[in-house]
Amino acid sequence: MAIVAGVDIGNSTTEVCLAAMESAKVTKFYTSSIVKTTGIKGTLANIPGIVIALEEALKKAGMTMADLSEIRLNEATPVIGDLAMETITETIITESTMIGHNPSTPGGVGLGVGQTVSFSQLESLTSGEKVICVIPENIDFEDAARVLNQALARGIDLQGVIVRQDDAVLIANRLQKIIPVVDEVTMIEKVPIGMLAAVEVAEPGQTIRTLSNPYGIATVFELSAGDTKMVVPIARALIGNRSAVVVRTPQGDVKARTIPAGFITIFGSKGKADIDVESGAGKIMETVERVQPVLDVQGEAGTHVSGMLERVRQVMSELTEQHLDDMKIQDILAVDTFVPQKVQGGLAGEFALENAVALAAMVKTSRLPMEQIANQLRSNLGVKVVIAGVEANMAIRGALTTPGTDKPLAILDMGGGSTDAAIITRDERVLSIHLAGAGDMVTMLINSELGLNDFDLAEDIKKYPLAKVESLYHIRLEDGTVRFYEQHLPPQVFSRVVILKDGEMVPIPSSHPLDKIRHVRREAKKRVFVTNAIRSLSRVAPTGNIRHIEFVVLVGGSAMDFEVGDMVTDALAEYSIVCGRGNIRGSEGSRNAVATGLVLSYLDREA
Amino acid sequence: MQINEQVIREIILQVLQGMEQPKPTTNTATAAATGRPMTLVEKGEARPGTRADEVVIALAPAFGKYQNKTIVNIPHSDVLREMIAGIEEEGLTARVIRVLRTSDVAFDAHDGTKLSGSGIAIGIQSRGTTVIHQKDLPPLSNLELFSQSPLLDLPAYRAIGRNAAKYAKGESPVPVPTKNDQMARPKFQAKAAVLHIKETEHVIQGAKPVEIEVKFN
Repeated sequence: MAIVAGVDIGNSTTEVCLAAMESAKVTKFYTSSIVKTTGIKGTLANIPGIVIALEEALKKAGMTMADLSEIRLNEATPVIGDLAMETITETIITESTMIGHNPSTPGGVGLGVGQTVSFSQLESLTSGEKVICVIPENIDFEDAARVLNQALARGIDLQGVIVRQDDAVLIANRLQKIIPVVDEVTMIEKVPIGMLAAVEVAEPGQTIRTLSNPYGIATVFELSAGDTKMVVPIARALIGNRSAVVVRTPQGDVKARTIPAGFITIFGSKGKADIDVESGAGKIMETVERVQPVLDVQGEAGTHVSGMLERVRQVMSELTEQHLDDMKIQDILAVDTFVPQKVQGGLAGEFALENAVALAAMVKTSRLPMEQIANQLRSNLGVKVVIAGVEANMAIRGALTTPGTDKPLAILDMGGGSTDAAIITRDERVLSIHLAGAGDMVTMLINSELGLNDFDLAEDIKKYPLAKVESLYHIRLEDGTVRFYEQHLPPQVFSRVVILKDGEMVPIPSSHPLDKIRHVRREAKKRVFVTNAIRSLSRVAPTGNIRHIEFVVLVGGSAMDFEVGDMVTDALAEYSIVCGRGNIRGSEGSRNAVATGLVLSYLDREA
Repeated sequence: MQINEQVIREIILQVLQGMEQPKPTTNTATAAATGRPMTLVEKGEARPGTRADEVVIALAPAFGKYQNKTIVNIPHSDVLREMIAGIEEEGLTARVIRVLRTSDVAFDAHDGTKLSGSGIAIGIQSRGTTVIHQKDLPPLSNLELFSQSPLLDLPAYRAIGRNAAKYAKGESPVPVPTKNDQMARPKFQAKAAVLHIKETEHVIQGAKPVEIEVKFN
């Protein structure tokens, strides 16, 4: 009887499967273990992780290293991916024409139109003038309200107020007339004085109607048809706000500009194509599909895209000790996204959601220095170490231990750095492909779209469901159900959106509501995993038609995710494909496919 | 360390000297406190509130009555006014009570939460130490605690009022940024202790909290 350990070194985890073998048959699967991969996959730095994983599995089985007769390593796929993000639009306000920053508490309600006047000028005005008062910093709300009320009493037609401090409700509550008040305008000294302006505040829970409508602005300022065309960007920038200010200045304008982001050149076996990054993800992916299979991708020199692509090449070249020129990018995945960016020329620190393109790139080389790892491991442990075979073949072998599966079978391995697909036909032919973009890209999208600037937090948002802490004794889960607690919850989670991480609650330090975070998370997963599932399966399908694949088994870390599996299953059901999460050996779930396959491959050698 | 100890000794000496002549101290106190004039009218025992849109401000026994400024000479009237303004700006109402049975800011605030319709209360001591509390929490826990009273200014009090109101609305406010100064403790420890002793002098054991109407003239 031989005790064999299969060791699968992945991008993020190292997995071990331990089994006893006898005369071309597996007598017993003992245990399996999973630990974080130490160092970059395929380097000597992996060895500590491998040793820990082995010891863990042996300990569970009540054995020691001396009992092992063979360790089987996978021929890790030499694939490495990297990510980049390129913002392609920006919003610029000229001559302070607009304030659209959406303070949380504007005061009053309605629409006011008049000349802008400074607070100090108010006393010198004569009655009957239609004005909008601009109140600078360091004026107390009671003093401001008193002066404004006096002006109203003198017959001045006060139409609206723009305030520096967070005082809008306080001032509005003290005025004798209900007028719109917009506050927290940080650069109030830049508001042009003596110009025609409009201030609008909507009822709580509603959004402004007049200033977000080009014809509304035209009515307010009596614009011609030609001028109305010019205000469309202003109206568009104000959609969804509860409050807004528009000032009419001779040259004022709001521009939505496209930033030249450079182009990428895709070399494929069917020719080469140039594509502008700013034309968006859809166009880029179309181009990739047209020339695929991709042989290499290059960015325009001196642009961000080129820098990112070079970095991927560099890392891979150092890792494999091969020449930089031999590093070819085999695939890219582009995804449309948006990034909150500060508006240039804004008076109140406005943010606008700008369009961006996220790119994942992947390099594949001939082979990783696995031989070195095997030698080192052999001398460290004194056990026979064998490099057993290609990762995809092993994964399929492992996946076939899922109850209810048979050849032909396709697997979809969704990991952290890449999405891999492989198919085995009835006559045992295996075809596999590696595509860029997987779990790490989802994390990047969540991080940027929510403006978190915290990669670990984004990773947690990706992995775990959310809840809103409604009181210290109950939380409302994502699906609307309520869960009660006997003991009170810690005060730092009170009234916050939290991540339910292994029975622990991690508060999210942002003001995004739960629905928004959930939406961003689900969309990011769909855009990466569902796109890549369809893309990769159609490439390995023997006829080139995804409909001719019957069974798909999901394996790998991201398949364990609480919703990705269902999303992919749902999307593939449209192509009448039976798809589901694997259950390796009927007990391991979608994990351990490659390690199990490695153990099983021991039998081939015997035979 | 030696220097610090020496500094503390000097401060204690100065404060002790000040205590020996109570009259001039109170005089300078009234002179220094030049906030907006305020009157606190006591309206009998405070009852539990039923409105979900109220935040209770629970004053310690001496606040605005026997003492009139914080440890860094900010007038109590301005402090109270800013907290009320912060609550009002968020669209809620402030209800002011005075807790008599304790001078401990945590218990003071916790008594307030039990009377607050929203379950949220702000507790404040005469020297300026402030806490935002919630009724389901144990007394010595809190939502936000501002323990370094010498570092609290009027914008901070406005922000405390605003955050308390946001908790009452079920929003997730960003905690009020708190300053930290290692020197605040050695510099003000003696004064803080004296102010606390003076506050505790006005504690009435077993007394019910008192409803207060605040008028700014």
